[in-house]
Amino acid sequence: MHIPWTTKYRPKRLSEIAGNLDAVNALLNWVKSWDKKVPSKKALLLHGPAGTGKTISVEAIANEYGYDLIEINASDSRTGDAIRRIAGMAAGQATLFGKKRMILLDEIDGINLSQDTGAIDAIVETIEKTNYPIILTANNAWDPKIRALRDVCQLIEYKRLGVRDALPHLKRIAAKEGVEIDEKAIKLVIERDEGDMRSIINDLQALSSGRKKLAYDDVVWLAWRDRKENIFEALRMIFSAKNCLWAKKAVDIADIDYEMLFEWIYENAPRQLTDPLDRANAMDQLARADVYLRRVKREQAWDLLAYVFDLMTAGVALSRERTKPSFVPMKFPERISLMSKTRRIRGIQARVGAKIGKRCHVSSISAVKYYLPYLRIIFENNYEVAAGLSRYFDFDEEGIAYLAGDESSTRKIERIYARLTG
Amino acid sequence: MAVAMWAEKYRPSNLSEIKNQTEIVSRLRKFVETKAMPHCLFAGPPGTGKTTAALCLAHDLFGERYMDVFMELNASDARGIDVVRTTVKEFARIATISEAPFKILVLDEADNMTADAQHALRRTMERYTETCRFILCCNYSGKIIEPIQSRCAVFRFTPLRQDDVKEYLRQIAKKENVKFTEDGIKAVIEVAEGDMRKAINTLQAAGSLKKAVNEDSVYLVVGRAKPKDVKEMLELAFNGDFLKAREKLRLMLVEYGLSGTDIVKQIHSEIFRMTIPEKNKIALADAIGDADYRLVEGADEEVQLSALLARLALLAERAKQ
Repeated sequence: MHIPWTTKYRPKRLSEIAGNLDAVNALLNWVKSWDKKVPSKKALLLHGPAGTGKTISVEAIANEYGYDLIEINASDSRTGDAIRRIAGMAAGQATLFGKKRMILLDEIDGINLSQDTGAIDAIVETIEKTNYPIILTANNAWDPKIRALRDVCQLIEYKRLGVRDALPHLKRIAAKEGVEIDEKAIKLVIERDEGDMRSIINDLQALSSGRKKLAYDDVVWLAWRDRKENIFEALRMIFSAKNCLWAKKAVDIADIDYEMLFEWIYENAPRQLTDPLDRANAMDQLARADVYLRRVKREQAWDLLAYVFDLMTAGVALSRERTKPSFVPMKFPERISLMSKTRRIRGIQARVGAKIGKRCHVSSISAVKYYLPYLRIIFENNYEVAAGLSRYFDFDEEGIAYLAGDESSTRKIERIYARLTG
Repeated sequence: MAVAMWAEKYRPSNLSEIKNQTEIVSRLRKFVETKAMPHCLFAGPPGTGKTTAALCLAHDLFGERYMDVFMELNASDARGIDVVRTTVKEFARIATISEAPFKILVLDEADNMTADAQHALRRTMERYTETCRFILCCNYSGKIIEPIQSRCAVFRFTPLRQDDVKEYLRQIAKKENVKFTEDGIKAVIEVAEGDMRKAINTLQAAGSLKKAVNEDSVYLVVGRAKPKDVKEMLELAFNGDFLKAREKLRLMLVEYGLSGTDIVKQIHSEIFRMTIPEKNKIALADAIGDADYRLVEGADEEVQLSALLARLALLAERAKQ
């Protein structure tokens, strides 16, 4: 029988909830305080990303401390009247056997204002009249449409789960299901799902269905599947962010090392920011980030990395002042593909440069600058001299071919060279 | 007759063969007479005889077998100060077989070292000052830190006089049996701008074209040797096509192996000919200088230069309005 693990292992008690210990304790203390006297704020707003345990911690308290939980969630009809009917009733009357009550209004930022006319007013009204604790949940407490609710609620924030919080719970589930999961694999899933416990558990179940063992290699493709999406997402964040913190978040989302992220931003910034002023400013920020990046690399000064991130994300984001929004697709960093295409030829050039440098008292870099252009002309036009110089510099076949440019010249020079060396 | 690079073949081998930089040569002669010398800093543009002077000085001090007590290191090739330090240590430590009172270490392209590396170098110079003299060569003495400059006798090499270049080229041409026209030799001198190495290389390349070196063959060589790409790149940026300009820059750096510093120099000489408000040229020169400095610090060439191109495109855009 296929039961979702999220249902099967849904916490029944507070101690079974992973992470957000402070938030859960604050919630419990607030609920308990009703036993003594009605608190000044008669409602709580639990806010935070999906899958961080907002709803289940309310359910666990109700279960553990014997409350009747009256729950209204997103799937219910939620017009003002409906809320008044249910919540008003719940707020007013005592239960038959004197059992305590708790009211949960789940996902209130999902309220559709055009459909649920009067819903917010109804909730505020209910909070004013209530004799029982009312708890609201929302992903984003700062959503303007629930501002009125913010004023009458006490806020408790739920944060994304880190590896340390999630890992023990997931291991326990895996053990109960008889699946051996590599710790690295679990960690990858936790990171990929950004600490959303519901998604993590669902993913682990899906990944390990029909298996007794789940290795890192079995899940790593997941990361690859999503990686490109993550980079694009990170880039979109940077190129549309209006404030520094938002732009800086991109570093966490990108899921690639910072040098690669820099390359992506560097490739795309001038494509996205098309206004000349915005573009010049963004490129300037990247150039400054690069200066820090070199210091980080050369002096192992890792604490400077923070400034690299600031400049390459927030610096670029805030350069956008005049560019109008429009859709421009992201491009893979071109110079990375060019570098790999030209690696061989650059290797030959460096070796040729080193040989010239040895004879002519210059660095191999200077040799490329001061001698190569002239040698090219000689090698293309005068095979006799070219062969003589090949001997002089001890060039090998690849060097000769590099300077001569085409195959027939190379053959001719080599034939003369062979005669010279006898 | 074995084929060689003429610039090497005709490099003076002792001080008396150096026909220019007379003041410098006479000071170096004093070192030879007294068999003593301080650390030296040779500063000047490429092809003005810095390395030659160092080689000749060592030759005159120590005789034909000077290579035993003479070493050349290139700051651009010797990655990092650690390489320099260990090499210097090894070199200075081993006692000389000859009766030379000290050894000479030439550190070429010293202005490519970061300030930090230079400070480390200064300590190394001090530690081995008994056994080893340093000659640092650089294009810009300004890029050498003050503590090193103050410990060195500074020699400033200047571009060669046209007559000196002409005389030298004539001698080489004669020995190598190269025919040339007056126009041709004049053109070589013109394009070399006092850079002897460039003059000789141009002559050799033009001479390989199997006809008398004339104005046309010289400009053919120069045209090939100095790519027009920098100018084209600037024009693209100037016309607002930043992405194409960056692509051009990328090709120059990656495929043609041009150095960022060279491109910076060329941009610098071009901007004053461009049609942008005079005031902006100064701001641009400032930005170019900034980029130049960062490159010396080891910054990424393409990133720094493309920031410069974006700035240029912006100025061009504003000039149009």
